[in-house]
Amino acid sequence: MKPPFRGFTAVLLKEFTVVFRDPTTLFFMFFPPLIQIVAFGFALDNDVKHMATVVLNEDRTTESRQLVEKFVNTQTFRVVGEVQSVDELSAAIREGKAYVGLQIPPDFTRNLNAGRGAHVQVLIDGSSSTIALQALQTAMGLALRESLLTTMREARRTEMPVEVRPQMLYNPTMESAHFFVPGVMGIALQIATVFATALSVVRERERGTLENLLVAPLSRSGFMLGKLTPYLCISTTMAAGIFVVARWIFGIPIRGDLGALFLAVFLYVFTLLSLGLLISTRAQNHMQALQMTMALLLPAVFFSGFIFPIETMPAFFQWISTLIPATYFIELMRAIMLRGASFQDFWMHFVILGGMGLVLFALCALRFKQRIA
Amino acid sequence: MIHCEKLTKRFGHFTAVDHVSFSVGKGSIFGFLGPNGSGKSTVIRMLCGLLEPSEGRATVAGFDVARETDQIKSLIGYMSQKFSLYDELTVHENLTFYSRLYGLRGAALAQRREELIAMTHLKPYLNRRAALLSGGWRQRLAMACSLVHQPQVLFLDEPTAGIDPVARRELWDLLFEFSSHGITLFVTTHYMDEAERCSHVGYIYLSKLVVCGEPDDLKQLPVVNPPGTRRIDVTCDHVTVGLQAVRRLPGVRTATVFGQSMHLLIEEGMSEDVLREALARHNIPHADIRPIAPSLEDVFVALTNNPNGETQ
Repeated sequence: MKPPFRGFTAVLLKEFTVVFRDPTTLFFMFFPPLIQIVAFGFALDNDVKHMATVVLNEDRTTESRQLVEKFVNTQTFRVVGEVQSVDELSAAIREGKAYVGLQIPPDFTRNLNAGRGAHVQVLIDGSSSTIALQALQTAMGLALRESLLTTMREARRTEMPVEVRPQMLYNPTMESAHFFVPGVMGIALQIATVFATALSVVRERERGTLENLLVAPLSRSGFMLGKLTPYLCISTTMAAGIFVVARWIFGIPIRGDLGALFLAVFLYVFTLLSLGLLISTRAQNHMQALQMTMALLLPAVFFSGFIFPIETMPAFFQWISTLIPATYFIELMRAIMLRGASFQDFWMHFVILGGMGLVLFALCALRFKQRIA
Repeated sequence: MIHCEKLTKRFGHFTAVDHVSFSVGKGSIFGFLGPNGSGKSTVIRMLCGLLEPSEGRATVAGFDVARETDQIKSLIGYMSQKFSLYDELTVHENLTFYSRLYGLRGAALAQRREELIAMTHLKPYLNRRAALLSGGWRQRLAMACSLVHQPQVLFLDEPTAGIDPVARRELWDLLFEFSSHGITLFVTTHYMDEAERCSHVGYIYLSKLVVCGEPDDLKQLPVVNPPGTRRIDVTCDHVTVGLQAVRRLPGVRTATVFGQSMHLLIEEGMSEDVLREALARHNIPHADIRPIAPSLEDVFVALTNNPNGETQ
């Protein structure tokens, strides 16, 4: 009779001692994710504001100056200089001094007062698409509003024919950190955990201690679980640290149930650690383990909905995103933290994450057996 | 205790171990010799159940290495080539870990640990990290770790590689002690002097087992002592010059330098005076010549050159 988890306690106790005796392992598990959270949280900001704008005002009237004022009041544009010719205007954009060029032709006020179409030229640097889009929308919106107000005055109406009153739920001030930090959490946890288990087994292989373990009467799952559990504890602690940073540094609310939140973390980390173990059954040395980890984790950065919304991806990439654990975790984080969703609302996500973890873990145990048979 | 029958391991097109058959009796010290890459470690790994044989079969303590690995595991100890230990752990913690791994708990664990510490004299180093031990002490610790479960057979893969001579001698003393407790030892090495200490030796060359038996029996083999020849030791000055002087003489079959002397295999009828004259011509006036028995090295050289054991 062989107990299914034989050797578990021995490996578990040893692994805990080794981890805490080697500060570099702990450092590399804790430090990079925290740095990532802070860096991404501050730097990744797609609220485009105060774009450098140059103005070529050939009209030089009160009305034209008021128009420039209205552009600035949208908060999207910031006048960094006035130029005297069209050439100077395009040069400023080409040289990167400004993203936007605003040209008001000499006949602007005259046409406006005469009831003819008054044209304003807006040059936008299209090489950065997010910024360009924001500038375009703001400029178009401004023009539309001005036109409407003029038409209303002429028609003597005081109210807009149709008015949309948007209300932003869950993220009323539209802080992009609220959107990004739960995503970064998924990505940051991922790198630290997969490396941790992958390297801890590969290190034993490189040093030759793995052979000693294989001649000992311990079971595969006992070994795997003994390897995995210490990192499960460490990663969960790390996740708690990340929540603290998210809550107190970025002011991101945690509206949902803490229990559900940590269940999500637990299942996600278990899945990632199992993935790390699976890598370790193939990788013969550190280098291979690093390469495999990077290759497996890179898709998550693009297809997990971390930055780019999954809904707008082509069907094939949407399908890929369903295979990535981070997809479910990030969605859960956003749902629980920002929208206060409960376990019942997203139970399917929990089941999928847990299922992925179990399948990966079972796969490790099987593959590991084959390797030494 | 160990039986191999046409044991074969192939890695792709490369045959690492080619139809190797031998037996090791209970309580013996079996020295397994061969140059690097000849297949020694592969044989050990198959016997420990780490690799599955491609062909043939082997049993350890009556259990089949391919099918009954679980039974074998609790009966064998294995010390791999690099004395793999956990560098971050102390001597004490390494021992505790391996004891737990083999299912020892509580008082039984503590008692066994004390026994091993006493046997290997590791007491002064208990709280030292394994990383900070010198080669000889690392090896002792590795050995203690492989003995926690009182195995019947201990496999040692090049236990003395990279160890200083004093530590080597001490290790062998320790091995003899284990042997006196009835443990069967299976040791790979490429040191000939270590082979001489074994009760039985096997020599593997280019994946094939060339010979296997007791050292004294092997030295009596006809291929080692071709009829009509004798072995002599010639001690003289400038031994390398002397070798050039005598090796081309008619009647000298083989000539090898051995420290300050040469070992020659010469035809029975050849006169020692012929040798002395040849040496004198090369300005070596004095030579001390005496008959010797073949060493194991002579045995292996003879068998490598003439693996089928045919007399010339």
